[in-house]
Amino acid sequence: MTADTERESALRPVGLRARILLAFAVGGLGLSVVLAGATMVLARGQLLETREESAAAVAVNNAVRLNNQLTPDTTFEDLPSIVDSLTSLEGSQLLVRLKTDWLLAPEFGHGDIPGVLTARIEGGQPGQIRAIVAGRPQLVIGLPLPSFDAAYYEVVDLAGVADTLGTIRIILLSAGAATTLLGAVLGWWASLRTLRPLRRVSAAAQAIAGGRLDTRLERQADPDLDALADSFNGMAEALEQRIRRDARFASEVSHELRSPLMTLTTTVGVLEARREQFSERSRTALDLLSHDLARFCRLVDDLLEISRFDAGAASLELTEINVANFVHASLHVAHLDDVSVADGLGGRPVVIDGDKRRLARVMANLLGNATHHGGGLTGVSMERDDTVVRISVEDHGPGVPAAEREQIFDRFSRGSSGGRRGGGSGAGLGLSLVWEDVRLHDGRVWVEEHADGGSGARFVIELPLPEDVLELEAT
Amino acid sequence: MMHVGTRILTVEDDERIRTAVRLALEDEGWEVEETASGEEALTAFTRAPADVVLIDIMLPGVDGFEVCRSIRRSSAVPIIMVTARADTHDVVAGLEAGADDYLTKPFAPKELSARIRALLRRYRSSETMPATMCFNQLEVSPEEGVVRLDGIEVHLTRTEFQLLVELGSHAGKVLSREDLLERVWGYDYFGDGRLVDVHVRRLRTKIEPDPGNPRFVVTVRGMGYKLQP
Repeated sequence: MTADTERESALRPVGLRARILLAFAVGGLGLSVVLAGATMVLARGQLLETREESAAAVAVNNAVRLNNQLTPDTTFEDLPSIVDSLTSLEGSQLLVRLKTDWLLAPEFGHGDIPGVLTARIEGGQPGQIRAIVAGRPQLVIGLPLPSFDAAYYEVVDLAGVADTLGTIRIILLSAGAATTLLGAVLGWWASLRTLRPLRRVSAAAQAIAGGRLDTRLERQADPDLDALADSFNGMAEALEQRIRRDARFASEVSHELRSPLMTLTTTVGVLEARREQFSERSRTALDLLSHDLARFCRLVDDLLEISRFDAGAASLELTEINVANFVHASLHVAHLDDVSVADGLGGRPVVIDGDKRRLARVMANLLGNATHHGGGLTGVSMERDDTVVRISVEDHGPGVPAAEREQIFDRFSRGSSGGRRGGGSGAGLGLSLVWEDVRLHDGRVWVEEHADGGSGARFVIELPLPEDVLELEAT
Repeated sequence: MMHVGTRILTVEDDERIRTAVRLALEDEGWEVEETASGEEALTAFTRAPADVVLIDIMLPGVDGFEVCRSIRRSSAVPIIMVTARADTHDVVAGLEAGADDYLTKPFAPKELSARIRALLRRYRSSETMPATMCFNQLEVSPEEGVVRLDGIEVHLTRTEFQLLVELGSHAGKVLSREDLLERVWGYDYFGDGRLVDVHVRRLRTKIEPDPGNPRFVVTVRGMGYKLQP
């Protein structure tokens, strides 16, 4: 189990947004590496070549001039003046060998000249080589002057070129980094753009799941996205039709049942008016018939009501309801006048906007539940805080296990305690209607334990106070 | 029997329901005239006006609303509408067409007879009414059973009249919808407040100089209605 979750998180695919961002960043990086690399190679080649070409030209020129000025009688002492007359490239230094003597540059000894080159020059071949001389990158050019047993060397400093190349490298690196960053930013923007339609789809799907079945996606005049919008809307349309058809079916069935139920109810009423004329057996049969007919009528009523909720056709007929009067009247019609009501409304009349028919059904359901399945009603309480009013109904039964406190409001739900709510009186639609009715009022309903921890269930309905009442109280 | 001689006209296209309702009403000692369509009902009512009319809204041909309006044009007879559901506009439309009360299918015969009795009681209790009341140009005379505005008689249905008398005999005091439901219709707290609202609206169109801005029957937000003396 743990290993699985670990593996899952390790293998969890990177999100689409991250992938798009990464692709753009890597693309930017790759492109800048290729461009920078090419630039470096070309620039380096070009710079060195130019430097070497001009150095070689100067060296050849110098060697020719030296050759012209040398005579067989020239001695080593004459050399400096001849050498001084030669042109020298900036950053370059000359070394001249005449017979066995060396005219050296200030910084070099003739030992600094790579042996490979000396060997080549002494062999009568001109040559050049790049080498680290005196700790710096240098180009060493050598030209033999065989007529006088002399050789001309020029050491050209390449550090200037290396500096330039270093600067170019820094510029290219920064440009590369900037390009990568720009790629990432572009990727982020592109992923936002790409995912925006998906977010719209997601929001629409959530709206549909939340019950707004007529939610549709707008076409965006984009051929790629419109295909998605069209298929999404097609799906939503099909779903809506299907749900409405189911709801309509339930509603039509209930309606069709009304006429025979009307005849049955009236006829049973006529029979009941004559019950004294019946035998004992017939009276028992009539009672069964009459009792279950009432149950049947209630079930059809509830089904019809539920189907109206499902079709989204349930609406509120709002009137002003004085909460205290309402609670007392609810107890009165349920023949529960002697039940104690804890009034926590703060002594002032609390008036809410509600649908009296629906709220009366809510109270009738909760009171009936407590009486018939909850071991008897033990108390009703009313309280309010800043924005809501709460009505609680407590019973004396076994209570509702914590695990069942939500599903008890499901349709036809029967508690684990052997149909504690529903078994006897048939369909468990009552509490699901309570839930729907309260929700339609923007309120909440739940079941909890007794406040004092005693045995039994406590059903609480919470309804919002109208805003104008709150405003009035605030002033 | 107490109500011997009371005639009830029923309009219902379903034969079985019609028969069952007749049996139940006859058990109460009332005389029942059955009709199966709106046309038939209007002919029957013109020939011999009933004391109470029970109309199913869903009728083939001339529907229940039309039957109701036609009867109202010439009579203040108590009318009970039978609707399929309580939470539809049918109820308000039926009340606006002139019905005094309504019932939702399926109803028990006991409910039906209770409704009819409540309407008949109202219809026949004019002799116990309080003395004539005057509010500026509005004159309510329970004894005569008439209302005059600037001396001209205003035609009210019995329910509208009863509503005005209840408000008038508590002039200046607020009566809640529940109070009015109990006093005028005989309902408990859970009666349908729309009965009161629609009847007040109908009453205003008849007695108020400007029904949109009432001078006599005013709404008291959060409490109910009162008649301003």
